[in-house]
Amino acid sequence: MKTEFRALAESDLRERLGYPDAATTDKIMDHIDRSCLSFLAHSPFLCLSTSDSAGNCDNSPRGDYPGFVRVLDERTIVIPDRLGNKLADSFLNILDNGHVGLVCFVPGMTETLRINGTAYITDDPELLGMLEQGHVTPSLATVIRTEQVYLHCGRALLRSGLWDVEMQDLANEVPTSGTMWAEASGLSPEVGKLIDEGMVGAYNTLY
Amino acid sequence: MLPLVVKRITPQSTDIVSLELADPTGAPLPAWEPGAHIDLQLITRQQRQYSLCGDPADLGSYRIAVLREELSRGASMYIHDFLREGRLVYARPPRNLFPVQPAGEYLLLAAGIGITPILSMAKDLQRRGARWSMNYAVQDDTRLPFRAEIESLGDRVTINSRDRAGRLDLEAFLADVRPGVSVYSCGPARFTDAVEAAMQHWPAGSLHLERFEPKPIVALPNTDFTVTAARSNIVVEVPAGESMLHALKSKGLPVTGSCLRGICGSCAVTVLDGAVEHRDSLTSDPESRTMYPCVSRALASDLVIDL
Repeated sequence: MKTEFRALAESDLRERLGYPDAATTDKIMDHIDRSCLSFLAHSPFLCLSTSDSAGNCDNSPRGDYPGFVRVLDERTIVIPDRLGNKLADSFLNILDNGHVGLVCFVPGMTETLRINGTAYITDDPELLGMLEQGHVTPSLATVIRTEQVYLHCGRALLRSGLWDVEMQDLANEVPTSGTMWAEASGLSPEVGKLIDEGMVGAYNTLY
Repeated sequence: MLPLVVKRITPQSTDIVSLELADPTGAPLPAWEPGAHIDLQLITRQQRQYSLCGDPADLGSYRIAVLREELSRGASMYIHDFLREGRLVYARPPRNLFPVQPAGEYLLLAAGIGITPILSMAKDLQRRGARWSMNYAVQDDTRLPFRAEIESLGDRVTINSRDRAGRLDLEAFLADVRPGVSVYSCGPARFTDAVEAAMQHWPAGSLHLERFEPKPIVALPNTDFTVTAARSNIVVEVPAGESMLHALKSKGLPVTGSCLRGICGSCAVTVLDGAVEHRDSLTSDPESRTMYPCVSRALASDLVIDL
């Protein structure tokens, strides 16, 4: 099957797409306004994009109680670091190149909040204290100075039916994480089953 | 958990709002006594304890008051900024860790948001014709919640604020032991700590405290230990880096935590065997067999609990 195709230049692209309406670009702010503050106060999940200075990209999910992304002032937000895989891909990228992009979700809402800005990592104890959850204070936090803040239209989520309850049946058709892990690491399916059993316990420790 | 509808939100001072919470169908709520609190759960899943500060005779609604915390961990900010009348919240039925016990006379000492349990106590003592007086320490009139209600209690109440009776010198005020007087105090840690320090020479049991913040505790280093849940016949390993409450929950044992800081008492378990290092703010007797596993740990390598 053919896997190489003609790559378009920007002029080709604009010929196809045209240009955004003023209404679309006008809604891009540099700060968190009152409505965005409310959006973040109810958002339990986001995807964080980072890249290193060579442009190698990474995107990773972050989730916690709704409002876990705290707004310190209208240009400053903070994401607590929670228990993860310690690959620290995002952190290493941020140390190399502070530019980050977020897509934040509110369950049931089709529009998403997009925030682009510049980040750094801190261990400030007073800040970390504010991010305590379930008696666990994170050991690190990502502070982001916002540069672009805007609501992304809901068509992608509407078309995908992402929040429809019946869509959750799809998960049953996908190999389990143990199976995927075992396959990716060249291990036997029996090991995959053990990984799945182990994950039940591991997922009890969320913080 | 009880579903409760937010019936009314009333600004009480520059940084305090009060909330009236009622059953969505209008049914009467579970009864409570002054000193009781509810564990409130917000739509954000955060759970916090709030003292009931309304009238225990009115089971049509509960009233709580919430201070906007400067360094909010999220819940007080959410309540101030986003909770609206008509919304649902959830609460566990009231529990009372700060009950008023019979005494010849009562001295109530409140500071700041610590007025909440004390206000209900004052009204109840007034109604019962008890001998009581109250001092309420607050910065100034702009920070004074429930002003009309407090003023209506008359001259048994002294408001120690910049605008009124001035600062309360606890050390001088509590220097003379008053036999037969029970002291009930609630407020920020620096206030309750000062009350406790000023009453060192009073008879044991004279002081009843409710804390919002954990008592400063010097704890031994965490070690690994083993807990046996006797009734369930389950053995739980608690690693040094994990709370005992968390370890019990992970094994599916029926314990619930709320404050997770050793102040609310909701995770209490009974110890059948083994020595406990009590790290909570509720226990005064080091030999107590009631243990709060959100913060407390085994002193040695093994504990047996009644679960």
